[in-house]
Amino acid sequence: MSAKSGSATAERAEQRQGSRRPSESLTREECLELFKQLYLARYFDIRLIKEKKRGRLRGTLYSSHNQEAILVGSLFGLQPTDWISPIHRDMPAFFLKDIRAGWDNDNRIGMTIEEVCCQVWGKVGSPGRARDNWSHIGSKAKKIIHSTSMLAGTIPAAAGVTYADRLQGGNCVALTYNGEGSTAQGIFHEAINYAAVHKLPVITIIENNQWAYGTPTDLESPLEDFADRAKGYGIPGLIADGQDVFDVYDKVMEAVNHAREGKGPAIVECKTFRAYGHGDHDDDRAQKYRPAEEVEKGRQRDPIAVCRKRLIELGHLTGDAATSFMAEGKGASEATNDDFPPEVVAYLNKGIEAAIASPLPAAEEGAMWVFKENN
Amino acid sequence: MAATTEAPVALKKNYLTALKEALDEEMQRNKLMLCQGEDIGRLGGAFGVTDGLQAKYGVDRVVDMPISEAAIIGSAVGMALNGMTVMAEMQFIDFISCGFDQIVNMMATYHYRTAGEVNIPVVVRGPAGAYGGGALYHSQMNEAWFCNSPGLKVVCPSTPYDAKGMLKAALRDGNPVIFYEIKELYRKREIEEELPTDDYIVPLGKAAVRREGTDVTLVSYGQNVYHCLEAAAELEKQGISAEVIDLRSLVPLDEETIFASIAKTSRVIVVNEAPMTCGFAGEVVARITTKAFHLLDAPPSRVTRMDTPVPWVKPLELHVLPSVEKIVNEAVRLVRF
Ligand SMILES: Cc1ncc(C[n+]2csc(CCOP(=O)(O)OP(=O)(O)O)c2C)c(N)n1
Repeated sequence: MSAKSGSATAERAEQRQGSRRPSESLTREECLELFKQLYLARYFDIRLIKEKKRGRLRGTLYSSHNQEAILVGSLFGLQPTDWISPIHRDMPAFFLKDIRAGWDNDNRIGMTIEEVCCQVWGKVGSPGRARDNWSHIGSKAKKIIHSTSMLAGTIPAAAGVTYADRLQGGNCVALTYNGEGSTAQGIFHEAINYAAVHKLPVITIIENNQWAYGTPTDLESPLEDFADRAKGYGIPGLIADGQDVFDVYDKVMEAVNHAREGKGPAIVECKTFRAYGHGDHDDDRAQKYRPAEEVEKGRQRDPIAVCRKRLIELGHLTGDAATSFMAEGKGASEATNDDFPPEVVAYLNKGIEAAIASPLPAAEEGAMWVFKENN
Repeated sequence: MAATTEAPVALKKNYLTALKEALDEEMQRNKLMLCQGEDIGRLGGAFGVTDGLQAKYGVDRVVDMPISEAAIIGSAVGMALNGMTVMAEMQFIDFISCGFDQIVNMMATYHYRTAGEVNIPVVVRGPAGAYGGGALYHSQMNEAWFCNSPGLKVVCPSTPYDAKGMLKAALRDGNPVIFYEIKELYRKREIEEELPTDDYIVPLGKAAVRREGTDVTLVSYGQNVYHCLEAAAELEKQGISAEVIDLRSLVPLDEETIFASIAKTSRVIVVNEAPMTCGFAGEVVARITTKAFHLLDAPPSRVTRMDTPVPWVKPLELHVLPSVEKIVNEAVRLVRF
């Protein structure tokens, strides 16, 4: 079986002949959209940290702070028919998907902010009726594979989804998100090897934030670059600057185009740094196992600042617009609503209000939906 | 030679052929069904259950997989998420442990955690059971692992008729089903039978009474059903009438048929070849004592494998597994209780 490459794909492939980076073709509007999305992801994270500190939320928050460029940059080039499989640290991915349609657009493909907030608050309005916590959601309709706690455990499902799609005449790709620590799991190898054998369009994004909970990378793998794992499967392994949303977009698009042309899977390692503890329960202890200088150094290149600099260079941000919204680098304790675009603040507030208004699931639901009922 | 006027002799079919026919007919019926597993295509499967299917349905729908149980099961989950029905073969059911996480955490919970949005029509099937010198890693009945994981149906047919009808039912069920086949029965001549030529299913969750009796009920499934039938014949010589129930399906369990039988016999022995501790026989006994205690004249009993692995050499193997003799002795003890 060979994957179909639509004429749009062929056209795009031709465009690339001139070896322009995909991000160079983005319009000013698209660039500004990317910038705003970074703020949206950051604001979501900061607000939830605050809500959690006030004791309003149950469970653990895995902050995506400082890693937003990976989510935004990788999602930006996807089609509505593509699938994603986010994990614990990728909470914004659930509502950022298909941001090209406009992040506050009713026709968006990702989940709504209301649905995601209902999940965080444990309310009935979440797609899974809040039966599992935090990031353990997904949507068949929105083509988001429902995550579980088992690290790397959804990569085979992503491969299976693409196989089924190809058999049904589709041309989708699937993006999976994984911490670098999770690449040590056997299932990571089994799934990618299988995808490579069948040339399935699965792109494994490795968010190398240099820590797996309390363990540094040199105790997780002897590799310097986790992208080198690709060699074992005979597939491309790309490295992106995870702080630079444009570089992530370029490398992921390269992998996506490769996959869509029927050439099979790829790995894209995005180098980044985990800004806080592993989860919010770990913030205090994280100071014991991570030297303060390392944290300070790791947080120096804030993705929002990197993006702003680029937009100024491109002439997309000038005058007042170039200096407003200073949230870059600020942590949850310092940042205020004034640091964010007002529409971003309003957007999230809408979700939070919906979550607060949504009821808790009825106790009896705990015993429902074990099986699909037949007839 | 003169043409014969006699009706053609109907062909009896073995357990393995019955399974193959089920897969063939379901693939024919459902264009969105595929089969995957190790060596199932070109070779036709280690035992031949999928023989000929790849030639008929192509390499895309009968897929030779890498040696990765986790990938075989996990990718099937993704396929199911995207509209397909999948038969995932374990070359031996023992190796299902290598895909255990994908089954119990990913597949079994999918319907529950999505509050019914997603259901996973995947049948994980494979050869199981002892009595053939398969030794430690080719003899297991590990059904209790999965009966203890809510969201999975667990079945084990013992006849060709059931093998075909239940595999079809499992593939149409819409839930993940762990399907235990008994490899010692695959080509056993004595159990061959004629199969209906029309499409039929055997619904999951219904037990079968294989022999009627009045003094003691023998509850079993898989290979041990035949041991129970032999034991019943032996007991008859001693003037004891045994009823034999073939559970066929463990989850869901047909309690009614068990209790109705105990109402007649007031004595029960549950026979299976998994180890006793935390095995499925213990679950059946627990349900009987909880819900049918008033019907009993003797404590419900179990004949199971000893709490050991299954050894290789014949005398050792027979020593640890249930046998006709062990069942007979236990039945006599209960009747005299
Ligand atoms: C199979 C499995 N083992 C252990 C855990 C517990 N656990 C959750 S997150 C985590 C660290 C993950 O590190 P990494 O993959 O680098 O991702 P990061 O959290 O850094 O983004 C661990 C050990 C788990 N969820 N699943």
